[in-house]
Amino acid sequence: MQFTLVVYGAPHSSEGAATALRFARATLAAGHSIYRVFFYADGVHNGSALAAPPQDEQDLLGHWQSLQQDHALDLTVCIAAAQRRGLLSESEANRLEKPSANLAAGFSLAGLGQLAEAAAVSDRLISFGG
Amino acid sequence: MANSILALCRHAPYGNTLAREGLEAILACAAMDQIPAVLFTGDGVYQLLEQAPEAINEKSLRRNLQAMPMFGIEHIHVCEKSAETRGIATDALQLAGAEIVLLADTGAFIRDFDQVLSF
Amino acid sequence: MTLHIVNQSPLGGSALHDCLASFAEGDALLLIEDAVYAANAPTHHKLPQDKIYALAADAQARGVTLAQSVTAIDEAAWVDLCVAHTPIVSWFR
Repeated sequence: MQFTLVVYGAPHSSEGAATALRFARATLAAGHSIYRVFFYADGVHNGSALAAPPQDEQDLLGHWQSLQQDHALDLTVCIAAAQRRGLLSESEANRLEKPSANLAAGFSLAGLGQLAEAAAVSDRLISFGG
Repeated sequence: MANSILALCRHAPYGNTLAREGLEAILACAAMDQIPAVLFTGDGVYQLLEQAPEAINEKSLRRNLQAMPMFGIEHIHVCEKSAETRGIATDALQLAGAEIVLLADTGAFIRDFDQVLSF
Repeated sequence: MTLHIVNQSPLGGSALHDCLASFAEGDALLLIEDAVYAANAPTHHKLPQDKIYALAADAQARGVTLAQSVTAIDEAAWVDLCVAHTPIVSWFR
């Protein structure tokens, strides 16, 4: 079965992003596939390459990235929500004349159409609140 | 066939950006021809009240909600009990171009959809 | 039948209240994160009679003992619940 996960929670802020990660792992372990993980609202902060949590805390960014590499996950960050909150790719940072980019490897920016499409074609959609 | 989609709006405007970002997602779905049904419940019913947010430097969310009919969303579902609990006169609720549909049983309504986007 | 997922403590906000107001017969309820506090003692709200689940790890993390009517599940069983139900509705902060 194909799942889409929608993540609203910022990492290291509310528990939603960490819960979504646990669910993603269980979904893949059960042999299902993940069509897309869509990061929306404060969830866009999950895609920040600059997160630097203390060593004895879970590294959510690193966990998402390794899951992405192992399963070729589609980790999509909503571009409009990201711009508002200061999460930019190299090309967006250039276009908007901002001093730096911070979109982490493994994540991509895209429009809300990607959420609509995922909702339309996935077998299940599950949201993780902030 | 593509999935049927319900957008469940239960946040008040301004205090949480999810009210506005929910509307943006609703319009994006509609623009992709995945026209969602829309249900305002809980504090979400506050989005339908008259608003004048200029002094807090916000755009009127209610005014933006009026874009929904232009995107093919002609019925706005409202949880009747949520409105009544908040002292909102349900017969006064209106949105230009849309028909307000009051629901007494939201559970029965929700279960008919394939996917629910919560905002 | 719907799977409702709540993540907020019962008195911390309206998520559980709103969820129960939209609960239909045969629906399932899963308590995760802070919502597991609703699973151990009689509170101001009344949970449905059956098909009530809570994430065991979240309850354990908080030292919450689940009432007998609540079934403790792991993440794998959560995925199975999602497969068995549609739609999935999240109620949060």
